[in-house]
Amino acid sequence: MPTITIDGTACEFEKGQMILQVAKANGIEIPHYCYHEGLSIVASCRICLVEVWAPNPRNDYKLEAIPKLLPACQTPAGEGQVVYLDSPKVLANQKQVMEYLLINHPLDCPVCDQAGECYLQDYSYRYGRSVSRFEDDKIKQPKKDLGPTVYLYSDRCIMCSRCVRFTREISGTSELCVVGRGATEQIDLFPGKALDNEMSGNVVDVCPVGAMLDKDFLFSQRVWFMTSTPSIDGLTAGGDNIHIEHNKGTVYRIKPRTNPDVNKWWISDEVRYGYKHIHSDDRLTSPHRAQHGERINTTWPSILEEVDSVITRMVGNGATVAALISPMLTCEEAFLIADYAKGWHVNRGQAIIGIGPVPVDGEDRTYPPTAKPGDANAYTVRAEKAPNARGVKRVLAAMAGDGKGDLSEPMDFDAWLEAVKAADIVIITGNYPNDWVPKELTRAVTKKFVVHVDTLTNGLSVKADVVLPSSTWAEKSGTFENVDGLLQVFEQAIEPIDGAAPEGRIFTHLITLAEGKPLTDAPHYDAGLIRQRLAEEVGLTEFVDTISIPVQIQKAEPDVAIVDL
Amino acid sequence: MPMTEPVLTKRIPTYPYGDPKDRHAVWYDEYVKTGGYEALAAALEKEPAAIVDTVKDSNLRGRGGAGFPCGLKWTFLPKDYEGQRYLAVNSDESEPCTFKDRMLLDFDPHQLLEGIAITCWACGLQTAYIYIRGEYHEQAVTVQKAIDEAYKNGVFGKQGLMKGKVDFAVDCYLHRGAGAYVCGEETGLLESLEGKRGWPRIKPPFPAVAGLFGKPTIINNVETLACVPHIVQHGSEWFKSLGCESTIGGPPSYGTKLMGVSGHVNRPGVYECDLGFSLRTLIDEYCQGMKGGKKLKAIIPGGISMGVLTADQVDAELDFDIGRKNDLLGLGTACPTVLDEDTDMIMVARNITRFFKNESCGQCTPCREGSGWIYKILCRIEEGEGTTRDLDLLLEIAGSMGAMPGTTICGLADGNNWAVRTIINKFRDEFEARVKPSLVPVTMSV
Ligand SMILES: Cc1cc2nc3c(=O)[nH]c(=O)nc-3n(C[C@H](O)[C@H](O)[C@H](O)COP(=O)(O)O)c2cc1C
Ligand code: SF4
Ligand code: SF4
Ligand code: FES
Repeated sequence: MPTITIDGTACEFEKGQMILQVAKANGIEIPHYCYHEGLSIVASCRICLVEVWAPNPRNDYKLEAIPKLLPACQTPAGEGQVVYLDSPKVLANQKQVMEYLLINHPLDCPVCDQAGECYLQDYSYRYGRSVSRFEDDKIKQPKKDLGPTVYLYSDRCIMCSRCVRFTREISGTSELCVVGRGATEQIDLFPGKALDNEMSGNVVDVCPVGAMLDKDFLFSQRVWFMTSTPSIDGLTAGGDNIHIEHNKGTVYRIKPRTNPDVNKWWISDEVRYGYKHIHSDDRLTSPHRAQHGERINTTWPSILEEVDSVITRMVGNGATVAALISPMLTCEEAFLIADYAKGWHVNRGQAIIGIGPVPVDGEDRTYPPTAKPGDANAYTVRAEKAPNARGVKRVLAAMAGDGKGDLSEPMDFDAWLEAVKAADIVIITGNYPNDWVPKELTRAVTKKFVVHVDTLTNGLSVKADVVLPSSTWAEKSGTFENVDGLLQVFEQAIEPIDGAAPEGRIFTHLITLAEGKPLTDAPHYDAGLIRQRLAEEVGLTEFVDTISIPVQIQKAEPDVAIVDL
Repeated sequence: MPMTEPVLTKRIPTYPYGDPKDRHAVWYDEYVKTGGYEALAAALEKEPAAIVDTVKDSNLRGRGGAGFPCGLKWTFLPKDYEGQRYLAVNSDESEPCTFKDRMLLDFDPHQLLEGIAITCWACGLQTAYIYIRGEYHEQAVTVQKAIDEAYKNGVFGKQGLMKGKVDFAVDCYLHRGAGAYVCGEETGLLESLEGKRGWPRIKPPFPAVAGLFGKPTIINNVETLACVPHIVQHGSEWFKSLGCESTIGGPPSYGTKLMGVSGHVNRPGVYECDLGFSLRTLIDEYCQGMKGGKKLKAIIPGGISMGVLTADQVDAELDFDIGRKNDLLGLGTACPTVLDEDTDMIMVARNITRFFKNESCGQCTPCREGSGWIYKILCRIEEGEGTTRDLDLLLEIAGSMGAMPGTTICGLADGNNWAVRTIINKFRDEFEARVKPSLVPVTMSV
């Protein structure tokens, strides 16, 4: 492999790679604004200029300085080249570009959402100069309402054109363009258009500064107060890698987490803004039961004990247990629920297991729209609106196939609706972000003992015998399997909202009670331990071997020493 | 051997060979009667490669500003490539104080069309676009009429290149710009031709490899192409007998050159001279001296992008070495603007930088922001509010921008760089007289 020396480090590269890409791959930072891995190269911001010495074939391959500074983002690496990142010329250019970028910038960091994660701030510290020599009047640029999701504060824009390229090259909608010339030019909407497409939120992510602002997040948090938890999209089947950003138990925004194999650098607006049900007023916040036509709120221990005693009594009379396991749940939870259901059927028929409805909305849509299906560089908005239909099925099928015969094969929703007629005790899980309960379901389970585990109030939760409030994916950890069969683990971002508990914990507790032990003996619910059981007890070794576990990104260390007083 | 008769201005009466009062647009019939399209006929008898060799041998250098050898550029086209190739004729002529191409378009459009036809034949280019600056309304009408004539008379189109003499057809279209200086930069021009914003492209790839619509493309200036028929007809040795050799070991400057003089002279206008012509003779004899007998103060030699010459440098020779010999960026368009003793150089600098800040396409940070900043500082200095510190700042900002130091994509920023630096350096006392001293309060610890 050819080698190039960057900042004193010898780096191997593949032909065609740019110097900046080689540096990135080797953990060497070269500042850049206009360059974005997912977009075309324009080499216009000029912060990435480096000094290159190259072997001259006309002079016995002696190393000679190339007199011009070269843009690292657009200069292909060459065998034997030596790249300097801190030569006087390079440093002077970096200082100059930083000064230029700020002369017409309003410097309004105190009221800017981007402050704290802004490349103007970061690079000013690292590559800029501490004072500006600009004494004249700044150019004032307007604020613009671009569409349903985004504001543009033009005066903060550094004209890197990433947002324009995103709408041309990825969303394919071309709503944005550059108008005007020179220092007064601006990003603007193409006449008669609005930035209104299902990928629009990404322009906020690609913007290296605080010019593109997310309306949903506007002025809601200072970013340094938030914790960023690596997670997986819990709403669609794509398995998009995301960060859930939250503070004090409240989720404020969802950001994409780069994964070249799944979502690249992008997420759809559906994934980005779909988290609202987490803090919806319709969340179920107290376990309750039906009594003489009224709903009685109660406590967790008493309701769990009641469920256990009712089921124990009914099973003693020969009752059959059925469970509907939602594709919104994790693999670990599916395992526990099925494990609980089959526990009532030792040597006694089968528990009737089904997979909850898998919502589908239209067809998959691929970006850029010109990409062919299966294109490695494309991003797909999935029509299937459940994160784990495959994972739930994988676990249930393996459990049913263990030869013990205490569990039915996992049925799809319609088949289960038929089969459930034979059951007396029905456990229903939901966790959908909307009112999902079809009338047929309510009808099919009337007169049975219904334990309803769900997050939002719906047509069933006002009727079920017992309602157990559960928590959304942001409030727990676990594993989802996406459309491509990729098993991805995600971490718990926030504590379950008051009164709710993750399905995993609920069924761990119910299992403890069913085993005749007191609740105080219930083990702590740990998704990692369940994955080990999946490997050992059900033979799904992939849950231990090949599963993809998110790498917690390092939080930047403050560059100011913190002194203990 | 200096030129004895006009070449490019053969049909355009020009001092000292003719009287501009007699100028008129030369249409097809008159053009042919006066020997026009003979070069094309001769070229069609030859192998295309032989024509490229002749032009290469003639050392014809680009007349658009950069002086790049024309024949050499033609050889950069990919060999063994069968598909579509283009010729883009740079007729944008937006460099301030430059109006030489306009004369060719106004009065002898067929000379250009003949050059286009020969170039397309020699390089195998099927389509030519003449990109004409938006403000050239009348010229656009003239050129379009000439193109129509050429189509009718078997130069362009299906039965073209002299009525189907060769198995090759060339189409020629006129495309009007919308008034942006940067669209004269060759890759900005291509973007604009494609219907996009005129943002110069990053190179490589070079246009000869991937140009217009991604296809191999040759870009030449109007005057460069107008030279081609003469070279083909009279041979490269003839061309080399005109103009001059380099005296500093550089490449030669052969041929004649149109020089459009403007400013404080008695007889401004376009003249045709040998390359290497003395600037003093051009001013004193061709232009009949300074207006009102005023003293010469400065000369902007070839469009404002090249920098300025002081009165002491009036003996400079107008050839491609002028830059290296006189601390200029280069010969540029060879259209000198003459300034007399009453000219305020600060106003000149301010006015020039106003142009650059308006015309910066805004892609590169140094050009976009630097050009605006320079202009603001110069405005302040002109109003008497500048300080000596501003002068150093101006030199630093100007010096930091340009494709030559590598900090920008195109050469527009170099023009700004050279204009500002040479004016301040060569007329520094005038600036110093206008600014206030930058005082550092003594009590302040520095
Ligand atoms: C900012 C800028 C503006 C330019 N404007 C023109 C122009 O108006 N006309 C022109 O012929 N060349 C112009 N050029 C030069 C062209 O880029 C290019 O070098 C030329 O068209 C090549 O033709 P030639 O080799 O025949 O000279 C300009 C260059 C720059 C950097
Ligand atoms: S709005 Fe942001 S992404 Fe778009 S050009 Fe400006 S700085 Fe770049
Ligand atoms: S140097 Fe100036 S005009 Fe040229 S591409 Fe850059 S910003 Fe545009
Ligand atoms: S990152 Fe290279 S020029 Fe912008």
